[in-house]
Amino acid sequence: MIPVAVVTIVSLLYFGLLFAVAYYADWRKQQGRSLVDNPTVYTLSLAIYCTSWTYYGSVGRAASTGIDFLAIYLGPTLIAFSWWFLLRKIVRVSKEQKIVSIADFISSRYGQSAKLGAVVTIFAVLGIMPYIALQLKAVARTFDLLSFPLDSVGAAFHTLPNTDLNFDTAFAVTLILSLFGVLFGARTLDASERHEGLVAAIALESLVKVVAFVTVGLFVTYGIFDGFGDIFRSFVETFPERRDLLRLDTPGNSYIHWFSMTFIAMMAVMFLPRQFHVMVIENCREEHIRKAMWGFPAYLFVINLFVIPIAFGGLLHFDGDTRLADYFVLTMPLQQGHAWLALFVFIGGFSAAAGMVMISSVALATMILNHLIMPVILKVNPGSRSLSGLLINLKRLAIFTVIFLGYLYYRLLGETAALVNIGLISFVAASQFAPALIGGLYWRRATRRGAMVGLIAGFVLWFYTLIVPSFVQSGWLPGNLVEQGLFGLALLKPTALFGLAGFDIWSHALFWTMFGNIGSFVALSLVTEPDTDENRQVGKFVDVYQKREEPTQKTRISRAPSIVEFVELMAKFIGEKQAHAAIAGYVGEREINAHGSLSEQEVPKLKHFTELTLAGSVGSAPARIIVENYLAARGSHMEDVFDIFGSVSISRSASREQLGVLYETARVIASGNDLQLILDEILQLFTDQFKFDLCVIRILDEERQTLTVRSHHGMTSEHFGESERNLSMETFIGEAFLTNQIAVVNDSDFINKPKTKEIIHREGILSFAHAPITIEGESIGVLSAFSRSAKGIFTEEFTELFKSLAGLVGIAWRNAEQTNRLITAREQQRELAIAKDIQLGLLPSRIPAVPNVSLAGICLPAKDVGGDYYDILLHDNGRLDLVVADVSGHNIGAALIMAETRSMLRSRSQIDIRPVQLLAELNQVLYEDLTRAELFITMFYVQYEPSSGRALYASAGHSPPVLYRAASKDCILLDAEGLIIGVKRDFPYEGQQISLDTGDVLLLYTDGIIEASNDKGEFFGEQRLMGLVMENHRLGAQEMIEVIIQQVRLFSGHHHFQDDVSLVVMQIETPETAI
Amino acid sequence: MRKNRRLPWRDAWFIWFFLGVVMLNYPFLSIFNKDILIFDIPLMLLYFFIGWPVSILVIYLFSIYLGRKGQVDTTAENGTERTG
Repeated sequence: MIPVAVVTIVSLLYFGLLFAVAYYADWRKQQGRSLVDNPTVYTLSLAIYCTSWTYYGSVGRAASTGIDFLAIYLGPTLIAFSWWFLLRKIVRVSKEQKIVSIADFISSRYGQSAKLGAVVTIFAVLGIMPYIALQLKAVARTFDLLSFPLDSVGAAFHTLPNTDLNFDTAFAVTLILSLFGVLFGARTLDASERHEGLVAAIALESLVKVVAFVTVGLFVTYGIFDGFGDIFRSFVETFPERRDLLRLDTPGNSYIHWFSMTFIAMMAVMFLPRQFHVMVIENCREEHIRKAMWGFPAYLFVINLFVIPIAFGGLLHFDGDTRLADYFVLTMPLQQGHAWLALFVFIGGFSAAAGMVMISSVALATMILNHLIMPVILKVNPGSRSLSGLLINLKRLAIFTVIFLGYLYYRLLGETAALVNIGLISFVAASQFAPALIGGLYWRRATRRGAMVGLIAGFVLWFYTLIVPSFVQSGWLPGNLVEQGLFGLALLKPTALFGLAGFDIWSHALFWTMFGNIGSFVALSLVTEPDTDENRQVGKFVDVYQKREEPTQKTRISRAPSIVEFVELMAKFIGEKQAHAAIAGYVGEREINAHGSLSEQEVPKLKHFTELTLAGSVGSAPARIIVENYLAARGSHMEDVFDIFGSVSISRSASREQLGVLYETARVIASGNDLQLILDEILQLFTDQFKFDLCVIRILDEERQTLTVRSHHGMTSEHFGESERNLSMETFIGEAFLTNQIAVVNDSDFINKPKTKEIIHREGILSFAHAPITIEGESIGVLSAFSRSAKGIFTEEFTELFKSLAGLVGIAWRNAEQTNRLITAREQQRELAIAKDIQLGLLPSRIPAVPNVSLAGICLPAKDVGGDYYDILLHDNGRLDLVVADVSGHNIGAALIMAETRSMLRSRSQIDIRPVQLLAELNQVLYEDLTRAELFITMFYVQYEPSSGRALYASAGHSPPVLYRAASKDCILLDAEGLIIGVKRDFPYEGQQISLDTGDVLLLYTDGIIEASNDKGEFFGEQRLMGLVMENHRLGAQEMIEVIIQQVRLFSGHHHFQDDVSLVVMQIETPETAI
Repeated sequence: MRKNRRLPWRDAWFIWFFLGVVMLNYPFLSIFNKDILIFDIPLMLLYFFIGWPVSILVIYLFSIYLGRKGQVDTTAENGTERTG
């Protein structure tokens, strides 16, 4: 016996050490040098699988029923083969989804179902309660064994030495373990789901327990006995009747039982809440699994190596008495007088029990808080005050509750069952999570209803086939329930359900629970359809290794909260410090718009981030409820974004749809229709394709500097009446035009432009967008689209498309403008051609033959049309009239004026009228027309009477003709005062007269000759012309014209003249030359 | 290079796992389920306590392979041609 005080003090000192280690690990984590981020620590933490059940129970089991206990450790070794694929996948999913417990994992997979989370939690608590009871029992028993006389061990109460106090060891142990559970697992409310301090303590405990167990093993094997061979040989010789303990296929150890145990252990090592917690939630890196895959089985191997030697050694030592076989590890050193070894073993056992209780209680408390308490709080709490303080206290309370439930179970049932049996009940319970969890991880078709019904069926059967018999065994329920079945129906016997007899209780329970569980899960999954929430989650689990594209944003938040509001929400649950740290990390990577808030597309992402952050603390299903309740409370809600692309799913096929619309628009533009028709058709297309209620195209009216409607679809008359927009930032349309950027309003409830607000609300518009219509980067108008039926139409994706469509409208406009210009140009060309025809038609078709006068005339129009005119009229009286005129303007109007002039000249010249009169009359008659047409005419008119040789002439501002005087062999210019026709109505022209002699040459011309310029900008000029006339006066009239034209061309260096060129040459010939 | 000739280690775990299940169950176990001592150790126990470390060794080798594969995969991702 060791004094109570010593045992207590050593235990407390040991716990002090554990706490120091935990504290150190937490400190290291804060320093960024994690102690736990290490595969060895991870492997040791998994060894929490070996509880006091292993530590004490295995020996008891080996001593009483044989080697079947090995299945509990061989099963995990087998399943470890799959860890790199199965466990790693679970870890990957959990890290990505910030899963905090097995209940969280299952509920998350099936659409973050709160109900499923609650069901898993309730079953987990019920299933683990016996296991915790087992630990309490083991610690209490071993404490008693060390401190009290052997005969009083197991009594409910002990009287403490020297006091009258009744002492309930189990209660004390419960209290201490609860306290440590709180200290390790719920010291602070952590936003992270990981507890490094706790894991470090667990790893140390695992080390202590294996060292203690191996020490006592070596002590028994080599201290008391002479090695393994000695023990087995002695055992076989001493207890030949118990040789069955060394084999399978014995009455208590069938192969089926062995298989069931292996299977149960395989499931339990993965899905017991505490195993799931250390393996998955507390995992630092997936890479650690690689070492744990062999390290953990190796640990199991080592700790089991001495189980049978100790068990058989104990049997040999205690003469085959198995009543205290569970505690051989402790009693043997005690009996041998090695109290300190016994104390060390006790500490090892305490480690095994305490570690399990702490992790289990923390894992279960998290589940209770997240899946049972939180939904209630969220319903009751008005949402105004901070919950972080309340939550941490509730978590502490939950830890106490879980451990005390275990104590209760122990007090009510624990004494009647062996350690191993209690543990196996929990193992079978944990196996019930396997179908929903593994199925959910690999089977897409698995549905929430399948998982729910499977779990419930499994647990009901578990309760009926395992718990009910244990209640009967403890006398809680009448014994005939097991013997005769429920209601006396043999088919309902809990241990031979539906007549399935001949199995041990574990195989029987395993069969029925798995049958009910897997059967319901598969069947219901096949007949039910997953809902939207489940569909959203399934890929995150089944395809976790595949690179998943974030689904294109299909929802938006109306009245979205700001960043600050999201932070406040998080702070309520995880405390301000944590919330600020989280948001700083998040916002750092995001783009924030000019208003300091997140863009519309970012808000749902922030919501998701808030959910994930909260999930790290409260689990994913509650986190979702929290965020959604919060949004609902402030009037915000998630809205499905109106699926602008119709029934085609928005992600991959969207680009095809977009292309389709763009193609259609381009096709309309290319149709070559009238612009108005094109614009109307484009708007019709938008309205049809995207179900817009109103589409408008406004184009800048440059004169009035307003944007006026060029085409619209769906505009009310009232709206149309005020549809013009000034170029100002007061309206979104003006803003889009001026800034040349698209203006999008996805929720018309939030408009900051009063003028727009009024119209938009009156028209019942919910969302709209204005895209500038540009030509070569310059705004020429605005394309607008409005919806009365949905907010949030303009997703990032659609905004891009809308911009492209506005671009196409711009192209349509440019095309139309170019076409117009082309048409104008063609019309002008045709007009010029007509004018040219008229002009050429006005020129004399033949030169009259006049005796002794050589005549020639030419008119060379410049490129297009000329305004020159010349005429040679021979009258019956022998008079010869020469006229050269130049009408300003090069169009039909000018040509018509010329025609009018010609008609008048021709009619008036018939009578005897002098040039000066003729010009004056012309001026009078044509003045009105010329003024109106903004034209004028220069003209030179000569009347020559061959009989007298007299020439009368007058000029209306025309270039003076050149006259070669044969007599003096020089040239003069004939000039006469006269204003251009069409400038002043009544103008007295000056008439002149000159007598022409033989050999004289008169050259009339228009300014195209003398104003012809060369490259140096010099004019041909009158002097050169006169020189030419002098040189060539002997040539005939026609030849002289040819020479002059040629020389002018040579001078200017161009074949074409810049202006019209007209020449009329009259050469007075001698009578001889005429013959 | 000749990829298809490489042992599909990635899936080998399942073969080992299956082999383990077979070797840990009836009828395989019945081979060793005999009431005899070898070197003073019961045959059944001897089978378990030799088979167990062997299976741990297999997992160990498998994990070593996984570690190497991880490195090879990383180099492959970095653009080095994989010559497995």
